[in-house]
Amino acid sequence: MISCTRAALGNCSTDGFLCFISAGSQVKFPSTVIPRLFFVLLVGLSSAAAQKPAKQIDLGQFPADTIDNVVVPVPSEIFSVLDKLGNPNWRAQLGPDKAYPASPNRAQVALLLGTVIADGFVAVEAEDSERVKEIGRNVLTLAEAINVRKSVVARSNSIIQKADARDWNAVRREFDGALQDVNQAMIELNDEQLAQLVSLGGWLRGTEVLTSIVKDKYSRDRAELLYQPLLVDYFNRQLDQMSPRLRSQPLVGEIRRSLGRIGPLIKKSPPDDITPGTVAEINDLSVQMVDLIRAKAG
Amino acid sequence: MNLLVPALRRRAAVLALLLAAPAAYAFVDDALSFAYEAANPYAERGWIIREDAWGGDLEEGGKKRVAAQLFRGNSYMFFLATDVDGAVLRVNIYDAQGNLAEGKSWQRGRFAYAEIKPRATGTYYAIVEVVSSPEERTGWALVYGFQRK
Repeated sequence: MISCTRAALGNCSTDGFLCFISAGSQVKFPSTVIPRLFFVLLVGLSSAAAQKPAKQIDLGQFPADTIDNVVVPVPSEIFSVLDKLGNPNWRAQLGPDKAYPASPNRAQVALLLGTVIADGFVAVEAEDSERVKEIGRNVLTLAEAINVRKSVVARSNSIIQKADARDWNAVRREFDGALQDVNQAMIELNDEQLAQLVSLGGWLRGTEVLTSIVKDKYSRDRAELLYQPLLVDYFNRQLDQMSPRLRSQPLVGEIRRSLGRIGPLIKKSPPDDITPGTVAEINDLSVQMVDLIRAKAG
Repeated sequence: MNLLVPALRRRAAVLALLLAAPAAYAFVDDALSFAYEAANPYAERGWIIREDAWGGDLEEGGKKRVAAQLFRGNSYMFFLATDVDGAVLRVNIYDAQGNLAEGKSWQRGRFAYAEIKPRATGTYYAIVEVVSSPEERTGWALVYGFQRK
């Protein structure tokens, strides 16, 4: 007769096995069961061993079982490392203090929205609550221009409230959430490609800020943060797959060309060997692209 | 650098699944709720849990590879969850060369967890696995978070 307490099954992946060996279990059994117990123990041991993760795997064995989508990091993932590596002048990285008017060009608005949200992350690093609040309102204006205002009203209000409270981690989460809300709304409107442009705009602005900081005070540790081959490939792939209508837009075409130039710069170097010259080149390209996006906004 | 968006964005993936297989909708959404629920205590301890996530469904023994850009200097945690009672999941993190890179991992009921402090900035892979399950298909969701301190 065997009984065991459920509480004894704490950190286990094989309930039946741990049930027998956990110290907190109440185990009673007749002698005839002992040989069977040894058998179960052996099976359990081999099962536990089998469940240890392999120290090395062949990543090529997953070609058909790979999720193509990529979760693009939020700027604060990188900004936090920059903070640890020094004391960047975040105020110097703040974007222009202006409200962008809505534009009829939805692709441009989508790119601009991405850059503005990235500006929000910079303003959080600078702990500039007034700028964060302005950006929160600006997000709402731009979201309206691409018909997704309703989906970000709550986020925008929350950004403003939490900036007032100077709850910076909460503001970071709200900017991240705003992105997801915008994306979801765009996908529901069959505008997934515009959602991709929002993401790209944010990444470009984040890259501009990162390269600017690394350029000001170069170190290998800081430059290593630029090693993002997965993301460059991801954005290039998305631009290549965009509709001819979007790709034919001069702004999108220009960004596609510039991103094509950034890719090799990031990927050609080992992650610990992105030189000051490479950083400067990527900075030039990202500054040009972000300026272009903003210029189109008038 | 880098911003936001992507990959499954939770509801986006759910929508995609809804179009492909209506039955999958509910369990991925539920799995995501479980994953966020499991991650919540970490958020209270200062971890930033991303709104974006990955998800899908797998047969017993099935695996998926999920790519993520991670940065040296941060700590990351990955929470895998399912809504299927009795299912056993596993998640492990490997670097771009296929070497096990996680600092620790565990499996507990319908949840699995892996934590990593990347030794280098670059691409990492989360291998998601449904070890066993009473269901033919098991919905799963993977969320991640990072720590600034």
